[in-house]
Amino acid sequence: MEDLPELIVSATASGCIYALVALAYLLILRPTSVINFAIGEWAATGAFIGVAVLTPLAWPRLEGPYWLALVAVLVILGLLGWLVEVVTVRPLIRRGAGITSPILALLGVLVIFRESLTMLFGADPLPSPPPFGFKRVALGPFAGASQQFLIIGATFAVFVAVWLFFERTVWGRAFEAVALNRRAAALIGINLRRVTALAFAAGAMVAGLAGLLMTPLTSAHYMMGLPLAIQGFTALVIGGVGRVEGALLGGLLLAFVEQLGARYLPIPSGLTLGFPFVLLIVFLFLRPGGLIAPREAC
Amino acid sequence: MIGGALMAVSGLTKRFGGLTAVEGLELELLPGEILALIGPNGAGKTTTFNLIAGVFSPSAGSITLGGVRIDGMPVHQIAALGLMRTFQHNMPFAGMSLTDNILVGRHTRLRASLLDILLGRRRFREEEAAARRRAAELVALVGLREEVDRDVSALPFGEGRLLELARALAGEPRIVLLDEPAAGLTQPEMARLAATIRDIAARGIAVLLIEHDMHFLLPLAHRVVVLNFGRKIAEGTPEQIACNAEVIEAYLGGAVGSAAGRPGHA
Amino acid sequence: MPGASRVLAWLAAIVAASALAFWLGGYATDVYRKMLIWIALALSYNFLFGIAGQVAFSHFAFAGVGAYAVVILAHKIGLPFGIAFIGALALCALLAYIVALPATRLEGFYLALATLAFSQLVLVVIDEGGSLTGGTGGIANYRLPPVLGFAIRGPWYTVLLVLLVALTLWTLVRLDHSAFGRACRAIRDNAVAAAAMGVDVRRVKVLAFTLTSTLAGLAGIAYAYVDNVINPSVFGLENIFLLLFMIIIGGSGSHLGAIIGAIVVYLAPFLLEPIVGHGFLVVFGVLVVLTILFQPAGLAGLLTWRAARQAT
Repeated sequence: MEDLPELIVSATASGCIYALVALAYLLILRPTSVINFAIGEWAATGAFIGVAVLTPLAWPRLEGPYWLALVAVLVILGLLGWLVEVVTVRPLIRRGAGITSPILALLGVLVIFRESLTMLFGADPLPSPPPFGFKRVALGPFAGASQQFLIIGATFAVFVAVWLFFERTVWGRAFEAVALNRRAAALIGINLRRVTALAFAAGAMVAGLAGLLMTPLTSAHYMMGLPLAIQGFTALVIGGVGRVEGALLGGLLLAFVEQLGARYLPIPSGLTLGFPFVLLIVFLFLRPGGLIAPREAC
Repeated sequence: MIGGALMAVSGLTKRFGGLTAVEGLELELLPGEILALIGPNGAGKTTTFNLIAGVFSPSAGSITLGGVRIDGMPVHQIAALGLMRTFQHNMPFAGMSLTDNILVGRHTRLRASLLDILLGRRRFREEEAAARRRAAELVALVGLREEVDRDVSALPFGEGRLLELARALAGEPRIVLLDEPAAGLTQPEMARLAATIRDIAARGIAVLLIEHDMHFLLPLAHRVVVLNFGRKIAEGTPEQIACNAEVIEAYLGGAVGSAAGRPGHA
Repeated sequence: MPGASRVLAWLAAIVAASALAFWLGGYATDVYRKMLIWIALALSYNFLFGIAGQVAFSHFAFAGVGAYAVVILAHKIGLPFGIAFIGALALCALLAYIVALPATRLEGFYLALATLAFSQLVLVVIDEGGSLTGGTGGIANYRLPPVLGFAIRGPWYTVLLVLLVALTLWTLVRLDHSAFGRACRAIRDNAVAAAAMGVDVRRVKVLAFTLTSTLAGLAGIAYAYVDNVINPSVFGLENIFLLLFMIIIGGSGSHLGAIIGAIVVYLAPFLLEPIVGHGFLVVFGVLVVLTILFQPAGLAGLLTWRAARQAT
């Protein structure tokens, strides 16, 4: 039990990554009802951009400062998210093609992104350096790598910012309005196209950030997207597809079950790989709304 | 239960949370009878409809069809017992042909098993052929145009309404529920529809319909039931209802014979 | 008689496809056999996804269950092949039914995620199966025992695969042109109206899922004896995407579309890889997006549209 505090740090850090991915899903899902499975590949893109900016391992081999990587990830992913929305999702929604078509089209987008990353960066995993070095940090009994604490801090910052956005700003209210009732929102003058475009851009940026943050610990590699997409979606379902706080709760819960279960349950370690899937199935059936109930339209 | 009634509704009540949509409704329908359900918006007509069709379960009361209690039964079982319905907004099966749409209505009458189907047994082949012949008859009966394999999603609105009707009839029902069947139709289409409904009733099928258009209803219905605030406030022949003071008041303004009750009119 | 000419057409196609087996050399035979398995899988998946409207990601998992079940029963446990075959098929059907019961309660993409999770669990179980499943290394060194006295080898096994495709196609076409097929499409298009017309939505969904997943299991059993090697990676996520793309590009809901889509998507890499290397997957992704945007009826839709135009 001595390593429990370290395990807690590790699980919290993993949970934060899952939470960010879940948040990315949520930002897109709420106003558009579209489940964007390509989110995982956007996270991978963020990871590879980090490698390209921070290390000599990939073009343009900048070995630059961290803030540059951050800006590059946000700008590039924001643009890519917006582009995907305009090219693939908007024509389908305008045509009234239902919900399944955009989701399937996004599966095509998923493959396009993944193969493009493979072609650009190759098949080997590429690590990037943690901005605060490899030293270990300790907060009381809780010790871990500096990157883990950075992840935790960054995630909480992002969640606070998003929560404030939804609760306190006009744009955030617009998002909520569209999420609750698309037609009514359009009727009161909210620009649906702009909200949808912003939703995709924001989701892409958050996903890219998750990828950037996790690379010092797990390295960027072309297969990382899909498992992340599944874990992020599981976190979303656990926490509830309605509320921002749910994404965070779901991510943390998933990570804790995964890591504490692997450590303390008397079953072979290979089987613990099944935990996220068991959890996903359980929550899809028992509580399709997740643990936190969404705000209902009155 | 009064002898001869095909469908009987007794003490029917439906509450949604604090709102009582229908209260203590008593209703009867005889074979071959055309009964119109009218009332202002929000009077409970659609809720009553949905209760009979099995979309909701009543909070209290009972619904019987041919002596069998159907309240609380799943929708598809009620259809199998011979109660078919149309929808207020056209709900075609957009990915299927016109004929196939109508054939879905016949689903409960097709008895061939999966094995019959896989082995192409005679029972299956004959049933299918008979069903297709019947579908062609129904197309002619309701007045749809001939090309039976058209793309259903491109159907003009009025023909979509006719498809709803043909589909409901394909099940050889004992009673059909028609939800605003005349809504959006042109005058000639409405006349054709009225003739078709009379034809159906003459064959012994009971018809329960919700309508707002009095010009359409009054010459057609045998009996009219008026709802307001979830309760029955009047029942009688169309002539009796047209003169009923309470009913006129419920519609608030103008003689019941005007088109004032119809949504979309000034 | 129209029936007779249709039977003749079927026989002609089967004979032609079988004759091809005797004409092809070693490498091409392997390609042809795997293509036939993909066609069989695409046909059953097309029924589930395109006709019944169930977006499920469990198809390859059931193929995997079929393959592993027959190999374990026949070669690890040593049962007579006939019993192993029936046992494997029965296991697929039973498992499909058990999964179908809860899964069909889920709508749209939640069904996809639940079946995806199920597939991954099956993989985990296979990976951790120790000596029974061979773990991540899989099982090898077995051969198809003589069936009814015949050792089915070489081109004759390919003929068997042709018959598998024919059986799958025949079953699905029969089911399609019946009240069951219409009920599946009706549920796909408008489940509320379908129920109002008397369709027992739950029952039809469960049946569609169980039948098509069992057919997938059958294809899996056939696959086990193509290379005489099975390992878990074949039944992973990548292939489910490929299968889905086959259906979309070929034309969702059309049997012909499934066949065309399977052939095109399966053979394209062989043609494209010399040119664009691994980039052929990007081509598929782009094709999928373009198909959904501009030609939802897929390649099959193009063919029927051209045929209709020529007829006028």
